Amino acid sequence: MVYYLIVCRSLTYAQRTAAVLERVGIAARLMRSPRIIAGEGCGYSVKIAERNLALALTTLARQGLSPKRVFLQNGDGSYREVGL
Amino acid sequence: MIYLDSAATTLQKPPQVARACAWAVSSLSTPGRGSHPAAARAARTAYRCRALVGELFGCPAERVIFTFNATHGLNIAIKSLVPPGGRAVISGYEHNAVTRPLHGLGARIAVAEAPLFDRSAMLRSFERLVVPGTDAVICTHVSNVFGFALPVEEIAALCRWRGVPFIVDASQSAGVLPLSLEELGATFIAMPGHKGLYGPQGTGLLLCGREDAVPLLEGGTGSASAQPMMPDFLPDRLEAGTHNMTGVAGLLEGLRFVQRTGLRRIREHEAKLTAAAAARLRRVPGAQVFSGPLGSQTGVLSFRLAGLECEAVGEALAQRGIAVRAGLHCAPLAHRTAGTFETGTVRVSFSAFNHLREVEALTAAVAGLASRRG
Repeated sequence: MVYYLIVCRSLTYAQRTAAVLERVGIAARLMRSPRIIAGEGCGYSVKIAERNLALALTTLARQGLSPKRVFLQNGDGSYREVGL
Repeated sequence: MIYLDSAATTLQKPPQVARACAWAVSSLSTPGRGSHPAAARAARTAYRCRALVGELFGCPAERVIFTFNATHGLNIAIKSLVPPGGRAVISGYEHNAVTRPLHGLGARIAVAEAPLFDRSAMLRSFERLVVPGTDAVICTHVSNVFGFALPVEEIAALCRWRGVPFIVDASQSAGVLPLSLEELGATFIAMPGHKGLYGPQGTGLLLCGREDAVPLLEGGTGSASAQPMMPDFLPDRLEAGTHNMTGVAGLLEGLRFVQRTGLRRIREHEAKLTAAAAARLRRVPGAQVFSGPLGSQTGVLSFRLAGLECEAVGEALAQRGIAVRAGLHCAPLAHRTAGTFETGTVRVSFSAFNHLREVEALTAAVAGLASRRG
């Protein structure tokens, strides 16, 4: 499976992001950002399925929530940043 | 005991508050400090609390800061806006939680004065004093001594118009009067968790209209840990160290009680008790009661008895099982403005859990003291 990780500024932003996505029916799992993408250390991400990215970004924009960065998690566990 | 000191701390809480605190002690660790279940439960509890605060007070969840009390929040707000020697405009009814930080900063303080319960005069006074170069306007929503509800909506509009940051001290209004950070356009609103929100002591909230607040404490936040400085985002920027999760869990239940009961119902209940207490106390010979017209006063009422010191009245009532607060109530400025500085007052203050029969017991006890005074 391929997933997207929406990297958030803080735990609270990540929680709000997940709550907003869940409200429109997108399964969103809150997780600590893997070290390789955390950048400044100790960050939080919201993990969503590949097919939901477009709806997720539109929904978040409507709520004034701008993701810090978005990463694609490949089936082999590697990460690639996605341009927004 | 008949507890009439809710302006200090509400003692009777919804039973869910104590249950949540007990659960938190053994079930919650700290938000943002791990992926294990105890940390995840703590994170969920903290977020639910922030989200509910946001819903009740018109503020995004991430701009809701957990503080130790309202004083903590006011210190952050004041020290974020007023530089040493800066200019601040305050009402004549402020608490020491506002005046002491300003004095500590060596601020030039302009005091907007007005007679008790005269909202129009208070607004005119602010209009005269809020001028360019003012670093902040700080105003209590409700006087902790007299229950005087100040016209914060109009003062907020004045501040927006003149481009001056506005701090609201909602210590006596949160959970009683409608209040919205977004609608006021306020820069900060500080409130305790342990009064009208029915949370435990050691809890408070600061709602932030901007992100660049100055932290009073610096340390671990569980975020951006590789950086040497505090994060530049909220709430982390203002929440260094381990959270008071026992308090947050209890506060969440207190907030749910307020939401379930409704501000209007709480406000009308307290207003009814205040009006009844004022009417009965006024019939006591030698009593001076400080009450205002409808809509200008909440569930806080001050009085004094001729020929008896306020502290003596408070002590005598305590001996009869009635808890009130006497003296200056940490608000000497309010007493100076109202002309009661030399004597102080006896303050009674109500919560959603008081009853009319308690008002009757109070007034009967006060009448008894007055008659014995001779």
